[in-house]
Amino acid sequence: MSIMQYNGGSVIAMVGKDCVAIASDLRLGVQSLSISANYQKIFPITDRIYVGLPGLGTDVTTLHEQFRYRVNMYTIKEEREIEPQTFAQLVSSTLYERRFGPYFIEPVVAGMQKLPTGGFAPFIAATDLIGCLNFAKDFVVAGTASEKLFGVAEGLWEPDLEAEDLFETISQTLLNAVDRDAFSGWGAVVHVITKDKVVTRTLKGRMD
Amino acid sequence: MPDGSFAQQPQQRQFNPYTENGGTILAIAGADFTVIAGDTRQSEGYSIQTRYAPKVFRLTDRAVLAVNGFAADGNMFVKKVKQRLEWYRHAHAKDMPLRAIARLIQTMLYAQRFFPYYVYNILGGIEEDGSGAVYSFDPVGSYEREACRAAGAAQALVQPFLDNQIYFKNQMAAAGQSHPLHLPLSDVLAIVIDSFTSATERHIEVGDGLEMYVVLAKGRSSQGLDGLRGAQEISTTNDGDRVFVIRRELKKD
Amino acid sequence: MDHFPTSWGRPRNEAIDAFNTYPLHQRPGHAPKTDTFTDGVQRTQQPIVTGTSILAFHYKDGIIMAADTLASYGSLARFKTIQRLHPVGARTVVGASGDMSDFQYLQNQLDQLTIDEFTENDGHDLGPAEIHEYLSRVMYGRRSKMNPLWNAILVGGKKDNGERFLAYVDLLGTTYSAATIATGYGAHIAIPLLRSAVEGRENEITEEQAREIMTTCMRVLFYRDARSLDKFQIATVTDAGVNISEPIKLETSWNFAENIRGYGAQTQ
Repeated sequence: MSIMQYNGGSVIAMVGKDCVAIASDLRLGVQSLSISANYQKIFPITDRIYVGLPGLGTDVTTLHEQFRYRVNMYTIKEEREIEPQTFAQLVSSTLYERRFGPYFIEPVVAGMQKLPTGGFAPFIAATDLIGCLNFAKDFVVAGTASEKLFGVAEGLWEPDLEAEDLFETISQTLLNAVDRDAFSGWGAVVHVITKDKVVTRTLKGRMD
Repeated sequence: MPDGSFAQQPQQRQFNPYTENGGTILAIAGADFTVIAGDTRQSEGYSIQTRYAPKVFRLTDRAVLAVNGFAADGNMFVKKVKQRLEWYRHAHAKDMPLRAIARLIQTMLYAQRFFPYYVYNILGGIEEDGSGAVYSFDPVGSYEREACRAAGAAQALVQPFLDNQIYFKNQMAAAGQSHPLHLPLSDVLAIVIDSFTSATERHIEVGDGLEMYVVLAKGRSSQGLDGLRGAQEISTTNDGDRVFVIRRELKKD
Repeated sequence: MDHFPTSWGRPRNEAIDAFNTYPLHQRPGHAPKTDTFTDGVQRTQQPIVTGTSILAFHYKDGIIMAADTLASYGSLARFKTIQRLHPVGARTVVGASGDMSDFQYLQNQLDQLTIDEFTENDGHDLGPAEIHEYLSRVMYGRRSKMNPLWNAILVGGKKDNGERFLAYVDLLGTTYSAATIATGYGAHIAIPLLRSAVEGRENEITEEQAREIMTTCMRVLFYRDARSLDKFQIATVTDAGVNISEPIKLETSWNFAENIRGYGAQTQ
């Protein structure tokens, strides 16, 4: 079995109308043995950026710390908050530094991007474990249930969902996908990001 | 090796009698009907061999079989099932009942336990009691009756979607109400079409064409089916269960 | 893209470079432990003398099929006047790539079958659909005995109801039919050309146009397929019956070669 499946876990992000959502399961396992049902793999980067880090557990911690350090350095040097687009590039280059000995993580970025006009636009991106960026306009998926997430999301997602509808869509997509994945599940967490607030909900899921 | 040497590595040389030919199949049972569907692309590796190679076959007026996996095994298996059903017809002067066909298929698959047909089978149709039924099999004959099942290249994409839309998994019914046990035909067809367009979008081995077989229980009105675009009746009699086929285009890229 | 006959029927191996030009008999992981002929009776074999792509497609009057006349021994162009298109009965043509001795065995079987059918004298004869069905059963039967006939075969012709017929069968027993089919390297290089030239125009393309399309494809294949030859034959099956041409020599021009950039040291 691949090291990418060792601890299990899945993340998905979706674009809505003036909002984005990012969600993950809460399982941490060691192969088929479940260890924790409250393992957070989505982290806030700024008030408007969240990053999901599905993959090898030890690298989740390392990369999260790495991103925290680099974002802090960015904030100090630039004297401004990092934007999602920029952060996605930071994620990509951080991973590519380890091109021939990669972190076993496939990050997912979701946030609201500040526009020159002063407004905000939804932004999502995902990369593979060596930092190949994918800027999708609809949704991105990663983790052990990624195939299932693709299938359900392709069926349920539609453009311009309002925040509440986006929450329902991403939740249904995630729950139904992880229920068919042995390495993901055991509850879920969903963050819906709009320009002025983030709503975080923890979902009850099947515990088998 | 890139440097032109190739002597040192362990030498493994064996004819491989199997290959994978892509595609996806799917079946959903209603209260008094069943829909059995499959795409029509046949591929090997990254090459599309043909855009029309049927994977779904009418066995009798009440049974339809979908086969997916290694196409040569699939075609041979269907051929042999049809032959056994013809012998049954000659011996008993009637068509074999669906649940008997299901058991026949398990026996035929298990007979090849040590050189299996590399094929996933889904059998759909109408039981003797008039209810819609789906039987799904693994390559060596393990089987069960279900309300819906997807198999093949895009199984992982389609099955969780079906869990959500057919079984209403992770959905709460409105207060004081319960989820319907069976969906009407129009809803089922819409879900099947959505499943295949989604699978086509995200899986390279799925696409080109969609064939949906509908088996209607005896006496059930064909409401909506006759007028449906591309629908065609292929029953041999009109006083028993009836079989229709509906063809749709899928993206070809 | 691993189209070499020695690789057919083997698990795909993503670790090797399918574009590399190893000597045919010594592809990594495929090389026999000993000389092929020293093992006595061999069940699982490998192709020895091989033919490359077969091309075929539907056109207005029937089916057109083409094959070059080369039978290779590894990378050696061993036999340069081998006919790889074989007429069966009055309205069928069979073309084969892969092992030539297996193909010649099949030719004998098909000829015997035609004779048996003729001596029945029952007013029936075998059309392309029947020949294809027969070949697919033989091929699938042999693969199931783990003793395959190492070929990819095209069967084309006119059915007795006047319909065109074109189908494929290979060493695994895999079958399919389509308006344009090619085996081997042709499936990668000629099929895109054929599909854009033929698909949707099957009932319009004249014999002259069909030959032109076929010649273009055979030329492209000759430029890129190192196991091909610039001598080929074209077979047509129409209501008038089977016609297999004399070998045709391709007119080629290598002027374009000096303009190719991007390989090896030549980067600009």
